[in-house]
Amino acid sequence: MVSEHLHCEDKREYETKSGRAGPGNPTSPRHSVRKNLDFEPLSTTALILEDRPANLPAKPAEEAQKHRQQYEEMVAQAKKRELKEAQKRKKQLEDRCKLEESIGTAAQIWNQEILPNWSTTCTSRRVRDLWWQGIPPSVRGKVWSLAVGNELNITHELYSICLARAKEKWRTTPAPSLETEAEDAGSSNRESSLELIKLDISRTFPQLCIFQQGGPYHDVLHSILGAYTCYRPDVGYVQGMSFIAAVLILNLDTADAFIAFANLLNKPCQMAFFRVDHSLMLTYFAAFEVFFEENLPKLFAHFQKNNLTPDIYLIDWIFTLYSKSLPLDLACRVWDVFCRDNEEFLFRTGLGLLRLYQDVLTTMDFIHMAQFLTRLPDLIPAEQLFQHIAAIHMTSRNRKWAQVLQALQKDPERGSPVLKH
Amino acid sequence: MGSDESYNFVFKVVLIGESGVGKSNLLSRFTKNEFNHDSRTTIGVEFSTRTVQLDNYAIKAQIWDTAGLERYRAITSAYYRGAVGALLVYDISKHLTYESVDRWLKELFDHADPHIVVMLVGNKRDLDTLRTVPTEEAKDFAEKRGLMFMETSALDSTNVENAFNEVLKAIHKKVASREVTRGSICAVTLSNPPSEAQEGRRNCCRST
Repeated sequence: MVSEHLHCEDKREYETKSGRAGPGNPTSPRHSVRKNLDFEPLSTTALILEDRPANLPAKPAEEAQKHRQQYEEMVAQAKKRELKEAQKRKKQLEDRCKLEESIGTAAQIWNQEILPNWSTTCTSRRVRDLWWQGIPPSVRGKVWSLAVGNELNITHELYSICLARAKEKWRTTPAPSLETEAEDAGSSNRESSLELIKLDISRTFPQLCIFQQGGPYHDVLHSILGAYTCYRPDVGYVQGMSFIAAVLILNLDTADAFIAFANLLNKPCQMAFFRVDHSLMLTYFAAFEVFFEENLPKLFAHFQKNNLTPDIYLIDWIFTLYSKSLPLDLACRVWDVFCRDNEEFLFRTGLGLLRLYQDVLTTMDFIHMAQFLTRLPDLIPAEQLFQHIAAIHMTSRNRKWAQVLQALQKDPERGSPVLKH
Repeated sequence: MGSDESYNFVFKVVLIGESGVGKSNLLSRFTKNEFNHDSRTTIGVEFSTRTVQLDNYAIKAQIWDTAGLERYRAITSAYYRGAVGALLVYDISKHLTYESVDRWLKELFDHADPHIVVMLVGNKRDLDTLRTVPTEEAKDFAEKRGLMFMETSALDSTNVENAFNEVLKAIHKKVASREVTRGSICAVTLSNPPSEAQEGRRNCCRST
């Protein structure tokens, strides 16, 4: 856009010469000019209607006519554009309303029909379909809790005990001492330290501003992570956990969030990752590659050619259950089905993402792919992504995910060479 | 700065050091001139590139920003392979992050090319009032271990450009003296004989 003052300079001339400023008002104040225009130009396009300054030869009539025509075309186009924008906004609003209405209806169905009869309804076709479409936020926490279950039989009391112990520990260890640093290089002691949890809490969904110091959920997140290090001192605190706990906190009360957190982390895939069990992680990557090759052979070959191994992008995706890499609402939808289908869905989602971006990825080299996948676009079309996930078949030569994984576990040599030392 | 797609060399550089010392912000300052007060925890590895002009060469720095967490180290150390440069970062206001430098070095030399160019970087120089690591001490340490040294501030940009450029220059010098590259565009490794240099690009990403 041309700056405003340029426009102003010529205004007076425009007023007097174009004759649009209205008769009997030759020295009208500047602001009346705009009022008299049929259409307010978005920039200085109207300047082409003006005659040349007096010290220059006058514009030929033909040229003036041409300019008028051009100007009118520009105005028409701008109007068309505005109309289009308005239509788009209206459509967005309608979509939004429709979506909200369908969420409302869905919430009713979940509340009145599904949840009261959970054990019988949860495996039905209809519920599975509804589940795929995303659980309404108002019942999300409840459904997650039910689906994750509580195999560990953690009670609210146990949470209180763990939390009390954590608080006791924090009180008695004023600062991380040098001795423990030096002696316990291999243990989880350092990682469970208050310092690291503190550091990470400030870096968990920073844009939401609710988990940071002084934010409403800061203490809750701190408590859950601290309680977990006392509940599972053998695992301790590992980066990535803060994101998982934060997502749970957004959907559940504190004690229930803790129960879901501990049970989620207790799943085989999460245990393998959070304990950084190398060989098991490799097995997971290898299983992922089996389905990758099966579903997206061309892209798989492209990745191989560029030596882009799955660990590069999967580590972040799996550790945080996509909560760091996908927009939060979309991540929650992934969690919905993850709670239903377990670890298999995490890898299926990964393949869905690769399928969604297949075309752009095949044009990239190693570094661009690595950059793209470790920092996904800000806007990811949810429906499209889920269509692509749905198109991923989780069978390979008649074997399901669990079978492929099991076969690879028995024969680790067939695993991916990634990360092997 | 050359355009992204025309360059003579690709240098793989890794950023390592304890959690929270500012690795990701050093990188974003260098590649995007951005600093994020509330940056997110790095999990695994993230990437960025920038092409710089050194002498008459366009050098594309391919920077691998690794997670600092101890527990991840087993994973991230695999990413040192093929790196020709490293910035080992500590926080001048947190002595513990400096004390662990030795461990990081060991990890680095265990997995990376022995000829790798390493710079010890004391970040957060803007926090001088909270300093717990004296400059001289770190400088002496770096000298003893044959490392380059610089204090930086990703927050106010002090020395960030310098630190990366000095490392890239030093790599370039090594590369030029060894003549390990062929062709106009090639990722380089420092120890390979010339015949293998063409393979450089692959080596730089392969973990086996």
